[in-house]
Amino acid sequence: MFETVATNSILAVIITVVVCFIISTLLPGIERKYVHARIQQRIGPPVTSPGIMAPIKFLFKENIKPSSPVPGLYKALPVICFLVVLSMLITLTPYAFAIPALASLVAIVGLLKVEEICYVLMGSLSKSIMSVRMPFPDRVKGAAHTKTTLSFIEDISAKRSLRMITYGSFPLYLALFAPVTAARSIFLQDIVLYQQANGPFLFTVSGGIAAIVFFIGYMIVLNEYPFSIIKAKCDVIEGPYMEYASKYRSIVFITRGFLMFTLGVLFSVLFIGIPATIFSPTILLNIVVVLVFVLMMGIFSAFTPVFTNRQLLPSILGATLLGILAIVLGLL
Amino acid sequence: MEEKVPRSNIIETEIPMGTVHPAALEPYRVRLFVEDEVVQEAEITIGVNHRGIERIMEGLPVEKANALTEKICGICSNSHVWNSCRTAEIGLDIEIPERARYIRVIMGELERLHSHFLYLAHGCETVAHETFSMRVFYLREIVMELLAMIGGNRVQYGCPIIGGVRPRCDLDEAKLLRIKNDMDKIEEGLTGFAERFLADSILVSRVTGVGVLPAKQAIKLAVTGPSLRATGVARDLRTTMFEYEDFDFNVVTQPDGDVKSNLLMRVFESFEAIKIIRQAIANIPEGKVVNRDWEMFDTDIIESYIEVPRGTLYHSYALETGRIRHCIIRTPSMANIGAMQYACIGDHITDAQLSIVQCDPCFTCTDRAIEIIRR
Repeated sequence: MFETVATNSILAVIITVVVCFIISTLLPGIERKYVHARIQQRIGPPVTSPGIMAPIKFLFKENIKPSSPVPGLYKALPVICFLVVLSMLITLTPYAFAIPALASLVAIVGLLKVEEICYVLMGSLSKSIMSVRMPFPDRVKGAAHTKTTLSFIEDISAKRSLRMITYGSFPLYLALFAPVTAARSIFLQDIVLYQQANGPFLFTVSGGIAAIVFFIGYMIVLNEYPFSIIKAKCDVIEGPYMEYASKYRSIVFITRGFLMFTLGVLFSVLFIGIPATIFSPTILLNIVVVLVFVLMMGIFSAFTPVFTNRQLLPSILGATLLGILAIVLGLL
Repeated sequence: MEEKVPRSNIIETEIPMGTVHPAALEPYRVRLFVEDEVVQEAEITIGVNHRGIERIMEGLPVEKANALTEKICGICSNSHVWNSCRTAEIGLDIEIPERARYIRVIMGELERLHSHFLYLAHGCETVAHETFSMRVFYLREIVMELLAMIGGNRVQYGCPIIGGVRPRCDLDEAKLLRIKNDMDKIEEGLTGFAERFLADSILVSRVTGVGVLPAKQAIKLAVTGPSLRATGVARDLRTTMFEYEDFDFNVVTQPDGDVKSNLLMRVFESFEAIKIIRQAIANIPEGKVVNRDWEMFDTDIIESYIEVPRGTLYHSYALETGRIRHCIIRTPSMANIGAMQYACIGDHITDAQLSIVQCDPCFTCTDRAIEIIRR
């Protein structure tokens, strides 16, 4: 009996994850074609191009050995990121609620932190040709400062990723814990049950404020403009992803779409009380929430330039204060 | 504005960028000496795109050499061939028909519009505001189509020739009407862009106080063109050029010398360019467009300076049996490199490329001189 239930649950998780994954591959295309391109009055790429066709194309490209002091670890990091996002999505299915250690906010926060740490490692392990390695005679007679320490542009990216871990993603974590103040539990099952009994947390004052903070945190974690300081085109270019080619770049592309989907589902679970399962029509609501987030992010990013510290710090400080306000209101 | 002093004594970290970088449209190497992501000093090096055009021009018949100068730049191609022809015209004392002068001015101002629009789009792109960048590119497209209508091509129009302009570039009534109508469209679009730009507080905060170049320093570094005028110095060579004698326009200046001033400078200067084009369309005289009644003779070194979209362009050569000798061309970016290095100082590293871009670099055109730095 137990074995049958376990087998069914595993099958349900697999089917849910596969379906969610397939939908997630369309998200980057939707953002680029139906939001960015429409706003910018151009045709844009085919909707399948950024999330499906580009990863497939990269899968069949010849791989190059990345310029990295630890190439093996560097190449493993996108896979780790993908597995982290996959694990996160699994925890957001109702079948994982039976394992409280997995289906809790602590696990979610831990998984998100692993994802963020991966960016630090990627940045510090990437040594692309775009800066120091470029064969250009910098230190010649007459050149300024010939005895300085050389730094790769990815090093800046790694430092910025570290900064984002320490304070950049703080608003997101505050928003994650806002529903806890209402449900009085860190377990996803309790949060979902509370909302099924009392209505979505989103429609409370605390929930509304926390939702705004969550959205800001969502953009920060996805490194989307204007918060994309770790991969700003104007200085660090692709930042941590610079040396990924072929199948590793394909995984980077896939993971981004998957993370967009998973964070949308996370919002559905924490703020509306709907876990992701393909065997319930509520999955449609999950997908709608995901699409709303993608559309909002697309609109917001299309109209904002990349931030520097001058804009980033006040934005994060403001979002953090809002997050604290949401928690305080929730406790009251 | 206080003078920024490079803090050389505490420099520890160097972050080189380029010669290939997506924020730069052209190949150059910039070494940024930073302390905690704040640029303390910058060093720009060019030289990877040297094509030796002056060397190729040496010994060529002057007509062929003039055509070759058009290949120097993809943005101000008309300005180069205009100034090269002008050099010969000064040396050979050739009178230019009135109508040809007007057409040259129209071409020059259309080129200014498309260069300034490219600048605005590139500036918005560098702060990662793709939407504004795209919108400016759509405006620029109107200008490019006009240039293609007059010259037959979108980049190299081949309009000026010694003695006037090429007969195929003459403007009939239909062409003049189209230019007139398109100026209205551009003016409307540009006004909308400027209003939206200034109303966007995030974007304005991103470009205000960044890449500041004080007027005193700009003069010291011999900065030219809109980059100089954006520091508050009202210096425009068009006020002294005989081609512009008939036209009423203002020399626009901006007070702060930062990226915002530079961007607005190009916007306001574009309005002045539209004003000049409208005057030219309204008052263009009838008559021939080229004077073929001139004789070739040997000359001493002839010099000609004109105001092109990015500053002062210098062409000089001597003529010997109808062939070019001792050719020297100096593009405005040559003088503005110092400004680019200076503008980066004190800014965040994310703003470094923006500070360089604000001086409107055109390194591929500049890449013809060897500067000996003595320290």
